[in-house]
Amino acid sequence: MNFALRIYRRLAEAFPHEFKLIYGTDVIQLGEDVVEQIAKQHGVAGLFRLIADIAIRVPIEYLSEMRRDMAYAIRALIKSPGFALVGIISLGLGMGVTTSVFSTLYAMLFRDLPGATDPKELVISQNPVSYYYVDQFREQRGLLAGAAAFQNGVPFNVGFEGNVNAKPERVFGHLVSPEYFAVLGIKAQRGRMLSAGVDKPGDAPVVVISDRFWRNRLNSAPDAVGRTLRLNGQTATIVGIAPKDFNGAMPMVPAELFVPTTVPAALAPELAGDVLHKRDAKEFIPLMRMAPGATQESVEAGLDTITRHLDDETVGAAGNAASSNNASKSDKTRRVSLLPGGNVVPVPRALKPVLLGFYAVLIGLILTIACMNLANMLLARGAARRKELAIRLAVGASRFRLVRQMMSEGILIALLGGAAGLAFAYWMSRLQSQMKLPMSVPMQLDYSLDWSAVLFSFALAIVCGVGFSLAPALQATKQDIAPTLKEGAGVQLRSYRLFGVRNLLVLGQIAGSLMLLLITGFLVLGFSRTGSAQTAFDANKMYVLSIDPVRDGYSAEKAQALFEELPERLRRLGAVRYVALAEQPPFSILGGSGSLTTKLDVGAAAVTLKSVARDKVGAGYFAALSEPVLGGREFEERDQRIDARTDGSKGVALPMILNQSAAHGLFGDANPVGRRITEDTQSYEVIGVVRDLKSGFVTGQSAAVMYLPLTRRDFAQPPAGGMTIMVRSDAGTDALGGIRREIASIDPNLAVFNVRTLAEYLDMSKAYMRIATNMYGGIGVFGLVLAAIGLAGVTAYAVARRRKEIGIRMALGSTKGQVLRLVLREGIVLVAVGTVLGLLGAIVMSRGLSALTDIFTQAFQTGASDPRLLIGAPLLLAGLAMLACYIPARRSAKIDPLKALREE
Amino acid sequence: MPEIDLQRFLPLKTQWFHIMLSLAGEGQHGYGIMQEVLERTGGKVRLWPATLYGSIKRLIEAGLIEESDERPAPELDDARRRYHRLTTLGRRVLDAESERLEALVHAIRIKRTTVLE
Repeated sequence: MNFALRIYRRLAEAFPHEFKLIYGTDVIQLGEDVVEQIAKQHGVAGLFRLIADIAIRVPIEYLSEMRRDMAYAIRALIKSPGFALVGIISLGLGMGVTTSVFSTLYAMLFRDLPGATDPKELVISQNPVSYYYVDQFREQRGLLAGAAAFQNGVPFNVGFEGNVNAKPERVFGHLVSPEYFAVLGIKAQRGRMLSAGVDKPGDAPVVVISDRFWRNRLNSAPDAVGRTLRLNGQTATIVGIAPKDFNGAMPMVPAELFVPTTVPAALAPELAGDVLHKRDAKEFIPLMRMAPGATQESVEAGLDTITRHLDDETVGAAGNAASSNNASKSDKTRRVSLLPGGNVVPVPRALKPVLLGFYAVLIGLILTIACMNLANMLLARGAARRKELAIRLAVGASRFRLVRQMMSEGILIALLGGAAGLAFAYWMSRLQSQMKLPMSVPMQLDYSLDWSAVLFSFALAIVCGVGFSLAPALQATKQDIAPTLKEGAGVQLRSYRLFGVRNLLVLGQIAGSLMLLLITGFLVLGFSRTGSAQTAFDANKMYVLSIDPVRDGYSAEKAQALFEELPERLRRLGAVRYVALAEQPPFSILGGSGSLTTKLDVGAAAVTLKSVARDKVGAGYFAALSEPVLGGREFEERDQRIDARTDGSKGVALPMILNQSAAHGLFGDANPVGRRITEDTQSYEVIGVVRDLKSGFVTGQSAAVMYLPLTRRDFAQPPAGGMTIMVRSDAGTDALGGIRREIASIDPNLAVFNVRTLAEYLDMSKAYMRIATNMYGGIGVFGLVLAAIGLAGVTAYAVARRRKEIGIRMALGSTKGQVLRLVLREGIVLVAVGTVLGLLGAIVMSRGLSALTDIFTQAFQTGASDPRLLIGAPLLLAGLAMLACYIPARRSAKIDPLKALREE
Repeated sequence: MPEIDLQRFLPLKTQWFHIMLSLAGEGQHGYGIMQEVLERTGGKVRLWPATLYGSIKRLIEAGLIEESDERPAPELDDARRRYHRLTTLGRRVLDAESERLEALVHAIRIKRTTVLE
């Protein structure tokens, strides 16, 4: 019984202060009075009940106190909506950006490939290799547990059985070696996956479909396995459905079909020309699973050795081993570089910290500004409420209780800000996922919000809310209350301290927002400079459209004949002025970067230019774009008749056109026309130089571009986006009908797709940049506004606190101007110091980021050298800050000395 | 107008009703309330101490009861204890609740007699 009473007393002590103050003794007294009676009447169960009763009541009382705190906080926030709104918006923006960016980043860098077994063991090679190489890789049991070859972004024109008349749909898939699914460790949802043991060359064509294909295009038909599809005009049987969410090994370019390399070339034109057995046909991406115990490093080193060996053999087979043998021995760079294959986006390991670093800096700045703003506001609020708190302390409120009440305000703002942030992040992810990238192959990035990121931001919001309200609450309640009450509104007047907490916060805010403004400004300016594609003619008058006859069932010869005939026929149409073929629409993002080396001249060292982008264009391409050829000539019909594969290996130099950047990089100011260039074993002759065409994007690659002619081989095997036909006519939109009719008159079954005007195409590519620009610009401007608000708050607070001092000064004869200067001086010092710090910080940071990766270098270089930004941004910030200072400072001049002094 | 006010409290929580009923006479302290309820219900309803004071606190906040300065005769007074009594509002709420319960009991009686006959 005594033991029970002891516990009872302990629990009674645990009640919240206010409750204890009133009922504490009563509760204990009553317990003591009844405990005997209860023990007699109910025994141990009664004592247990007595304890249980009080044990339950304690948390209930706390909850009810908390509810009251919250209600009080809500009322307080409603009373000062400006304070609440700024706090919520600034936190919300910070949280929103953090959540959204980290969700995307996480999805790209860290999320495992959906469906794959032990994705950490998967690697892919950055450079494509030939099918034969992958077969050799597979034999390295010590290094690899499995290896498969695949091509991604392979288009198929798909027809559905029982629906012969419908135009085939263009669907993207992977062309995979039968080991593909075994290497990934993917199990079928229905039917079977491909496997090396079952699928042999010469079998009837089969195909595995993705879950998405099954749902969207076959309406989740239960009998889908066993049905047939028409793929590029050939029949293939569906043998299995891949598991949900599996969209191929590189889901950035989602694959809906998985076609084995055992199918005939008629079904997959990518297989034409016996590429599976050609050692030099480097057209497959190796997807490998590392052997137990092997590391990415050791596998890379091992495969590099094998690749060198195989390269030598391959070149040896071609007949000129001697020269390239020397070349290969002298180059020490790795020929194989592996990327983690188990992520959604294969990003090189080394790049991960860089990407993370950049976003961490950006987000850190935003969060810092948002939190500092909140901290500053809460601090100011805490200080402003000193008197109220002192009174409440004096009449017996517990310090804990007051602190809790002030904290609940911070928590409330944090929660609301977090909710606003979530809504903002959701909106951003929607916006991003609706964005269409101007690419011929559909790209898909996962912008959906990641729960861990949401949780992280929310936790951070709460920590900010609690932390920054706790500090001023403790500070405000710790003081000796007597002077506060005695002195009235004045409180103790502290001398001006440059390094006080509040001033440091404002300083940090100004410096931080200037840094943010400058960095985003660099990017925005850089983007707009490098990213404005311009045409020398009305882009509305050029149509860009694609056809892909091989996938409409054409034979290679028939397709070649079509492409030789088509431009001529289109040119004969009434208003048409130019017709040109190209691998992709002009101003596209160019891929396939290689490194070019000048041929050794007498007395001159060889120059190597790395990462030169490649584009294949047809005859008359530059004329169609009204781009002047600066030297030499552009491609003509006869260039298209050269066969790259056969002629190239005989040592015939293929014609090549360089853009100015590439020409300058390789030859300096010398005339490049007629010079020889090599890339690996292929040699080229420069026949012309053109201006740099600005693409719609900023890419990390240098602007050097090499143009190669489209050849008969390309016509027989058009790229993923089909063959692009550019038609420029004098007539406006009427021309399209004529073009369509003309193509239909050649073959009504030829599918024409991706039909746009060049203007529309450019808009698409600009839209992406526009969104990025707006977002970064918006972030920068918001940081600026936040800083201004913070500064205004601090100045207003300072004025309010110095009312009495100002009153005395004015009573003693200070003019309004003098008083204004006095108040403004503090603000000016803060602004000046903050601006200098911010400017330095931005420069250091942009240097650091450019040094880490070349992705931002270009944007930063163009942006950072812009005087508009370097001078304009600090001026803008300083101007705004001064305004933010001035408005509340003006109030100081309105202080009536009589009133201010009488307030005592 | 006041009717709506009263309805807001109805039906009263059982514990509230018991406490208020105990205070219908003169002011009481916690121990007294507890004992009275215990006696009235033949030991069936026991108000446990913490719950009792939690309810008292909420009854005060609701304005149904208040602390009382009136003390009983000095020999009966326990100076350490707080005494409580009904407020005017509390009395009206108690009446309204009693009426409601009576009506309920009345309805049950009628039902019982008709069923029996």
